[in-house]
Amino acid sequence: MASDPMSVNSSAREPPAPPGSGADEPKYGGYTRFELELEFVQALGNPLYLNHLASRKLLSNPAFIAYLDYLQYWSRPPYLKYITYPGPTLKNLELLQQEKFRQDIISPDLVERLRLEGMKAGIDWHRESFPSTA
Amino acid sequence: MDKYLDSRFERVEKALATFIDSIAKYNPSEKLAEDLVAADRELAAGLKELERHQNNHARILQLRQETASLDQQTKDIIGGLWNMRKEVKSTPATQYPATGPKYQFTTHELLNYAKRISRTTLPPAHLLYNSEPSESQQAGGQGGQPMEVDSAAQTPMPGLGGGTATAAGTPAASAAPTPAASGPSGPGPVTTSTAPFSQPPPPPSANQTALPEDFKPHINLLTGYQFHPWPTEDKVRMGGMAAYQSLVSRAVDPKGYDPEEEERRKKEEEEARKEAEERAIREREEEERRMREERERMARERERARREEAERSGSISGPAAGAPAAAASSAGGGGRSQFTFLDGMDDDDDDDED
Repeated sequence: MASDPMSVNSSAREPPAPPGSGADEPKYGGYTRFELELEFVQALGNPLYLNHLASRKLLSNPAFIAYLDYLQYWSRPPYLKYITYPGPTLKNLELLQQEKFRQDIISPDLVERLRLEGMKAGIDWHRESFPSTA
Repeated sequence: MDKYLDSRFERVEKALATFIDSIAKYNPSEKLAEDLVAADRELAAGLKELERHQNNHARILQLRQETASLDQQTKDIIGGLWNMRKEVKSTPATQYPATGPKYQFTTHELLNYAKRISRTTLPPAHLLYNSEPSESQQAGGQGGQPMEVDSAAQTPMPGLGGGTATAAGTPAASAAPTPAASGPSGPGPVTTSTAPFSQPPPPPSANQTALPEDFKPHINLLTGYQFHPWPTEDKVRMGGMAAYQSLVSRAVDPKGYDPEEEERRKKEEEEARKEAEERAIREREEEERRMREERERMARERERARREEAERSGSISGPAAGAPAAAASSAGGGGRSQFTFLDGMDDDDDDDED
């Protein structure tokens, strides 16, 4: 996916150290790279945010695509456990690796369907887990 | 079996023939007759034997048939099994995509994680157990324009908040004035089908404890609440990325810039400045005090010079001048205090000039 010619030199960057590793991380506006990237990767769970990114033409930017590829380290330990919206975050991160999805998310209809179905699924899967109480 | 019966037939025939011969020769013999009877009896036994033989034969045939059918059945079963096995073996086992390495974790970690994400993944109970999302929510979601593509980075998702707000706000706005303005007839459409006129609604009967439908949204704090399994726009706007963006838009390089650190530094500077001011004030006071003392000292010296002058002139003019000299010396303390007082006045003047 990220095999496009990259115009970034950060592609080979290592993921930031998770908190508690004792390393003295440089801060960006008061936040570590870990905090900012965690926040960003979780914001990707929001379909409207994805649409916003698409509308800014970021999803067709090779550098940004490389960054999305790089962000996949969130799907592995020890980073995985810091994600508090695991379902949509990981799903969208996976979808964003696909060219087609990156192109289609500009469509308002798709965003709206993702939004409604995501919200419905967020409730329904709990109903399925406890059918006796539903 | 045939031989067995044939021999008996032969015997009967022979016995009969000899018996007939004997009769024909007019020489019947009792013994021959008995032979014939015995042969006949044996023949009957043989026939019975034949019958049994035939029965047995039939039974054998039947059993053979049965065996054959059972054999066939067994073969069918085995053939079926074989086919089944072939099918099972030829069924491609689902190849799960290589899920990558497996990660070890402890129950404790898992429970901790579950606890942590429960706030963001578990919808509130009223959404879970009540019903489908209400119409207004759906309408709000659909109606709020989900995008304004042209808007800048700071307004990424107008539809999300806007849609929810209108959905929650509209019923409140439309329903709120009704009970207040038109009084008791307000809740009419829902509850007062029995009292269509503008009388006070009948006092609620014992079984009518439920609230009118259109009151419910006002009482329920969660009206219009929507559960989002992802960070909402508000959260994104309040987070670190927004802070970063605001720094960039203020032309501050965020790298290495820590607002808390900055705050601390400013505070320190402020404190240092205050301290410097205080020190300056103290120094000025010190200076003034020194100058005052200097003036006092000069005044005392002038006084002393004046007294010496007086004494000198007194000693020249004789003892008569002793009295004023004594008086002057005795009044020294008073004079001094008087000067001190004057000094004070001077100081005041100085201060005023300052």
